[in-house]
Amino acid sequence: MEVIINKEDSVTTVRLVGRLDTPASQDVAQHFEPLMSDAAGTIVLDCSEMSYISSSGLRIFLSLRKAAASQGGKVIVKSISDDIRQVFMMTGFLNLFEIQ
Amino acid sequence: MDISDNLKTLARKSAGTGLLLIVVAAVTLEATSLIQYFSSQRMLKQEASLRAESELRSTRNQIMDIVDQAEAAVHNSIWITRWCLDYPDSLAVVARRIVEENPSVMGSTIALVPGYNKKLPLFAPYVCRTADGTTELKSLATEEYNYPAQEWFTEPLNYGFGYWSEPYIDEGGGEVLMTTYSVPVMDDAGRVAAVLTADVSLGWLTDLVGNVRVYPDAFSVLVSREGKIMVSPVEELNMHQSIQEFATGAKDTANFNVLADGMLSGKAGNVSLKQSRRERLFVFYAPVEKTGWSMAIAIPDSEIYGEIRRMSMLVTILMLVGLGMLILILRSAAKNQLKVSQLKEKKDRMENELRIGHNIQMSMIPKIFPPFPERKDIDMAATIVPAKEVGGDLYDFYIRDEKLFFCIGDVSGKGVPASLVMAVTRSLFRTVSAHEKSPQRIVTLINESMSDMNENEMFVTFFCGVLDMTTGHLRYCNAGHNPPLVLTDKIEFLPAIPNLPLGILPGMSFQEQEMDLSYDNALFLYTDGVTEAENLTHEQFGEARMQDVLRMRRSSQENLEAMQKAVADFVGAADPSDDLTMLFIHYLNDMQPDETERHLILHNDIQQIPQLADFIETIADEIKLDQGLAMSLNLALEEAVTNVILYAYPEGSDGLVDVEAIMSKDKLKFIISDSGKEFDPTAAPEADITLGVEDRPIGGLGIYLVRNIMDSVSYERTDGKNILSMTKKL
Repeated sequence: MEVIINKEDSVTTVRLVGRLDTPASQDVAQHFEPLMSDAAGTIVLDCSEMSYISSSGLRIFLSLRKAAASQGGKVIVKSISDDIRQVFMMTGFLNLFEIQ
Repeated sequence: MDISDNLKTLARKSAGTGLLLIVVAAVTLEATSLIQYFSSQRMLKQEASLRAESELRSTRNQIMDIVDQAEAAVHNSIWITRWCLDYPDSLAVVARRIVEENPSVMGSTIALVPGYNKKLPLFAPYVCRTADGTTELKSLATEEYNYPAQEWFTEPLNYGFGYWSEPYIDEGGGEVLMTTYSVPVMDDAGRVAAVLTADVSLGWLTDLVGNVRVYPDAFSVLVSREGKIMVSPVEELNMHQSIQEFATGAKDTANFNVLADGMLSGKAGNVSLKQSRRERLFVFYAPVEKTGWSMAIAIPDSEIYGEIRRMSMLVTILMLVGLGMLILILRSAAKNQLKVSQLKEKKDRMENELRIGHNIQMSMIPKIFPPFPERKDIDMAATIVPAKEVGGDLYDFYIRDEKLFFCIGDVSGKGVPASLVMAVTRSLFRTVSAHEKSPQRIVTLINESMSDMNENEMFVTFFCGVLDMTTGHLRYCNAGHNPPLVLTDKIEFLPAIPNLPLGILPGMSFQEQEMDLSYDNALFLYTDGVTEAENLTHEQFGEARMQDVLRMRRSSQENLEAMQKAVADFVGAADPSDDLTMLFIHYLNDMQPDETERHLILHNDIQQIPQLADFIETIADEIKLDQGLAMSLNLALEEAVTNVILYAYPEGSDGLVDVEAIMSKDKLKFIISDSGKEFDPTAAPEADITLGVEDRPIGGLGIYLVRNIMDSVSYERTDGKNILSMTKKL
């Protein structure tokens, strides 16, 4: 999976390209580590090119969300596919994130 | 309740009727006996009066005989006396003849009227009977006797005809009671010349009157013209007291005076004299003509009524005893009736409770058939026919995680105690099997619970099975129950180790067995109520007949009905001796015929996970799944496999994960197995997806997703393998 992080002012856009399955989550978690320690701003997770997410991926999203919440920042999940929206709904994540 | 109320009312009514009956009976009896008493009394009095009067008449007649004799003796001698007047010396001869010819005449005199014979101013020769039977001549013409002044002399002269003197005691002649009859004698010229007398002894009167015994305690009294008591049972009174004198000192003087007046006036009649509060004296009296006497017969009323009083006393006692018995009988009858109605009520209540018990029992077991109408892979039927209202048989089944848990059992004994143990057993089965998948564990745990509290030495034969609906794998454990029949291409008994029944031995270890069922195989579970059903000749239905019934292939329900009918036909008119319980399980997993299998074997390495995506893609192409469903299935499979890699195999160890996909028309099934340590993902608690960001735990979503995506998920540990089955309906 490709993770492209672009920081403009206080908004950090993270573009996730490909499948966020269990092995991919382990890489993504490492990419997210700096974001977790500096989550006071707005983090936009651009999912327009993410075709799959497993529970380990959801776990990373949740960890980021918790970090942002504790630092006064916010996490926006952008452009998720209908199938992934289904997974978000199933797990109650729709209520935890701002979805665009 | 209505019926028992009515019965009570009836009992009360009949008790009331009984009381009325007693009162009517009592009144009738009392009235009858009173009428009888009074009419008897009247009759008895009448009879007494008749008897007294007849006695009086007879006594009077006897007295009159003697009196007449004496009078006749005197009268017959008048003419000769008159003839002898001129020859006074011959008068003594006349007197002697009177005495000698009349035995009742004790003495006789012919006393000349003073002055009639100039030569003999006083002349009265007297002849009397002596003790030796001869006669003695005396002269009454003595100075001191002065016969012209004597009553026997004066009275006839005064009256001019025969006169009976007042009785007197003859002092000269041995203290004998005497009376004298005297008549005036005229001479041819019609002048009164003499008085002719005959002394009549009345000693016989005492015997005659004294012997009048109308009744044993009755007595007779004879009184003179003047009222002097001549004869009575009381010696001192005789010739000493008059009846008038006696009356003044007697009880009930008023009536006594009536009696005295009646007797002295020479009439006949009767008087009732009150003697005491309870005693009366009935006195019947009648005159004795010529003499002026009156005779009375006194009868104490106790003599007259004694018998009837005794009788009426007896009747009263009998009546009271009868009434008492009637009351007792009626009371006990009413009590019995009440008891009967109470017993009936009790019986009704017990029957009602038993009926409720039966309903509760029946509500405990699944009894809607088919039980899983939406499932095509199973066809079940079951029935319990208790021999009594409640029974000790049980069956139960349910499906959890694609496993059919089922059991059948038979509690020792029958009736209410057995039904209670049955209820306990069924509850234990449900409680224990909610967390256990191994029949051996289920049976062991139930046995522990039951052995602990089994104080009544009741035990349960029990068979428990767990059928994996997806694989047809059957695991079972027997606890002393009849081995079920298994129907494959033949009918045979399921090889079942008997073990001990439940509730006998705590700590008992039970052995579990297993076999695989294929499409269209079936199990028939039953209690010994089927095999041991007896007909009138005590022949048992037996296993052979039972097997025969199942040879024809039918639906589960039809099989049970056929078996029930076969047993009923066999038993005939005999009473059902035991509960009849059957459970028929027809396994119809239709995946088998046209299914396709795909296999994927992974190492316990997370990096192998992407292979699952390719695996799913192949399958999705093959059975034409849409992309969304494919992604969901991929997700579920990934989560399940990840769990195995992360938890079943310790880090660093090497192992394989076997992923099998079984595809059929309407469902897709994954079976994920591994040889790692025991790990049951389905045992993890459900994730709570309603929690907020702060409270939300990071983990726990994996199995949650699996459950949500798949239609059924089940885990089992067999042969050292974790086997997770997941099915998705298509």
